[in-house]
Amino acid sequence: MQEERLIAHLRDRPAQLKEAKRQGVKVIGYFPGNYVPEEIIWASGAAPICLACGGSSEMAEAALSVVPHVICPFARAQIGERLLKKDPYYTMIDMLVAPITCQHLRKVSEIWEYNDDIEMFKLGIPHKYNGDFELEYYADRLVVLKDKLQAFTGNAITDGKISEAIELYNRMRGLLRKISLLRRAPDSLFGALDFVKLNHASFYADPVFMVDFLDSVYQELREKPPVSKGDAPRLLLLGPNMGYGDYKVLELVEAAGGEIVIEELCEGVRYYWQDIENKGDLFQSLARGYLADRLPCAFMRDATKTRFDFALKLAKDFNVSGIIWYELLNCETYDSESYFFAQKMGERDIPMLILESSYGTADTGPLKTRIDAFIEIVKGGVAQ
Amino acid sequence: MMELLRLCGYEAQEIESELPRVKKAFNKLGITAQDIERAKQRLNKYYGVELKGVRKILRLCIQELVNWTLAKEEGKTKFIYSFMATGFFDTIAYAVLSKSKEVYVGSLNSLHHTVLGSIFEKIVPILEAAEKRWLKAGAVAHCGNVKTTVGLIALDVIPKPDLLVNSGVLCETAPKTIDLLHELYGIPPFCYDTCQDRDIREYPEATKRIADLLLKSSRRLTRRIEEIVGFEITDDMVREADEARRQLGKAIDAVQNLVSGSDPLVISANHQSLWTQLLFLPMGKDRLPEALDAINTLYEELQERVNNGVGVVEKGAPRIVAILPSHYTDPSLDYMVGEMGMALVSTDMSFPISDVGDLKDSYEKLSVDGVQTSIHNSLARRVTSITEGCKKLKVDGVMDRFHIGCRTVTADALMIKDAITKELGIPVLLVERDDFDPRVCNHQQYQKSLEVFRAMLTGSRQNK
Repeated sequence: MQEERLIAHLRDRPAQLKEAKRQGVKVIGYFPGNYVPEEIIWASGAAPICLACGGSSEMAEAALSVVPHVICPFARAQIGERLLKKDPYYTMIDMLVAPITCQHLRKVSEIWEYNDDIEMFKLGIPHKYNGDFELEYYADRLVVLKDKLQAFTGNAITDGKISEAIELYNRMRGLLRKISLLRRAPDSLFGALDFVKLNHASFYADPVFMVDFLDSVYQELREKPPVSKGDAPRLLLLGPNMGYGDYKVLELVEAAGGEIVIEELCEGVRYYWQDIENKGDLFQSLARGYLADRLPCAFMRDATKTRFDFALKLAKDFNVSGIIWYELLNCETYDSESYFFAQKMGERDIPMLILESSYGTADTGPLKTRIDAFIEIVKGGVAQ
Repeated sequence: MMELLRLCGYEAQEIESELPRVKKAFNKLGITAQDIERAKQRLNKYYGVELKGVRKILRLCIQELVNWTLAKEEGKTKFIYSFMATGFFDTIAYAVLSKSKEVYVGSLNSLHHTVLGSIFEKIVPILEAAEKRWLKAGAVAHCGNVKTTVGLIALDVIPKPDLLVNSGVLCETAPKTIDLLHELYGIPPFCYDTCQDRDIREYPEATKRIADLLLKSSRRLTRRIEEIVGFEITDDMVREADEARRQLGKAIDAVQNLVSGSDPLVISANHQSLWTQLLFLPMGKDRLPEALDAINTLYEELQERVNNGVGVVEKGAPRIVAILPSHYTDPSLDYMVGEMGMALVSTDMSFPISDVGDLKDSYEKLSVDGVQTSIHNSLARRVTSITEGCKKLKVDGVMDRFHIGCRTVTADALMIKDAITKELGIPVLLVERDDFDPRVCNHQQYQKSLEVFRAMLTGSRQNK
């Protein structure tokens, strides 16, 4: 019943947005990675849409006319989507906020810019995420973004509106967090595939609807009796990015009898793990919450130890017996980090399987074989 | 060995006095008699060793490799290295080396690429050492430059540094590497940085904004280096170092400009990475005169070739510009361009984007320089710079080579080709390679591509 409500909302969402655009509402797209505060977009009266489509070899291959093959398939898919114009969100946006995160996504924004067919704001993300003047730089850029959005939408962005937006998105984060934490229980009702899809839905759905929907889901899950998963090994999923539609690995793990109980991805805990402080200088608060206080991505400076310690804590808190590391082909920073994680997890007798995808259909067979074998190893309690 | 050193500009007396040190360093680096024979052949084939200036630069390179390899046993007590860092680091290095005899400060990996790679053809074992750690070979296309750093440290051929510095201006794989070296080898890392978020419509204000962030970060680096070396690095020291190094930079530019304008081309293109090498050699004020002498000698010799109409390709040969510098470890690739009858006159690295105006403060100047070469700019700005540079040099074609280990430059390659073709209507050859790894290029295919490109250039000229 709940699921149908969400499906209907997402089905109707493009039409709703088109109607809103006719009435003067701007649709602002942004790339994922958790560095663009939706609050500022929402406070401008515009509709924020996270452009996160992934998993399609068609889109990744379409981009090969523009960029060489060593750009990661997710970044290429963002170019392919814009070229092929099949997804309505990629064509309906009035402006793009492009966070300058990894070099792959940076180049996507430069190629969009070079084609000069859309208004754009490049949001610099200092990679020294915990530095003082780097935080100041990011906060300043958020204020410039605010000014740009005010001019673009014609709506004033007041502190009151920012505060309301923080309140709204804190509720969203809080509900995602509460639902996710339910999975600490031995017999969870909610699989990783469902949770990731729910999280992805929040990128596109109206946030007011989404908060109401998440609240209903949470209440329902709390009241339902747990269902035993038998001997399904509990797993932690780590990696850079899982695009909207990139569900192959989640499906293969589920089919092999494994249970991913927590995800640390760009579209995982990093977004919802903590709230944004809703007092004082709100732009400073957004800057701290989105950059300094948040778990860093692998490409951030001096991030490896922090990220490893956090993953270890997740493994303990969620009582996992194995780790699946899912990265995209040509993602060089995560590929480098995977070596360190595998070595250090191995020292703690936590087996880790490293998977890599190019979004190609040829991946499926080898992925399935490796996942099946890994689940058997973890079930047998044998370190990889 | 002695013949090799003579080819590299060592005088007889110096050979006698330096031979034990050179032998010791070569032993440590695993350089065998067979390697020395191969090096002599490569020097005679690919380098203009008949030019005194070339020999002087080679001598400085060999000398410094020996110094670096033996630095610890010869009494240096502190080691600070950088790799993939902006010129600011080399300026600080100059300031430190001018003041202290106990500290060794050097930029990886340019020197090792030139000597071990280009001259001795021995870079592959170093790359393989990195591949045995986390920088695996294959489709992921890890950068050969990053691999060299990891390989040199893993193989213990350079003293372990007290600080490893990097600027994340161009990529994040290098900062990630020093972070991992910290976790796995206990080497303290430091990254000075900025944000590459310039919008094409915001130039030049955006350049000032991101240079200012780099400046603050650079000052933070200075403080960190002071902690290691134990003395203050004043703004005056940085200014003096900057002024001295700019003298060298101007002398190198003069050689590059002379070569770019020459017809016939006076020296083969693989030398570009050799003379640029001077900017990355660990050098204080005691060694600057030698570097200036080497490059000025080369200038005079090349000027004489220009005056006498002497060149390495035929006069009137098709002129081409290449994207990115010449290969760092395989001189045969650029040398082959000349063999095929084309004059590779310059690269986009010589097309500076100077839109900020005159600056007084050295930190400001160095920070702006750190974000203003072609590869540091966004695609749209880069395209303008490259097309303008090609027009100015009146070239017949462009060799758009891209280093697949670097996502920043690779992502631009096809769009640059598209823009040059549309705007200038001249042939563009795309070449995929790793600029530091000689294995990532099929020489036969490359030669065939050059043959086809040569035919395209001739056809294009005839159609004009």
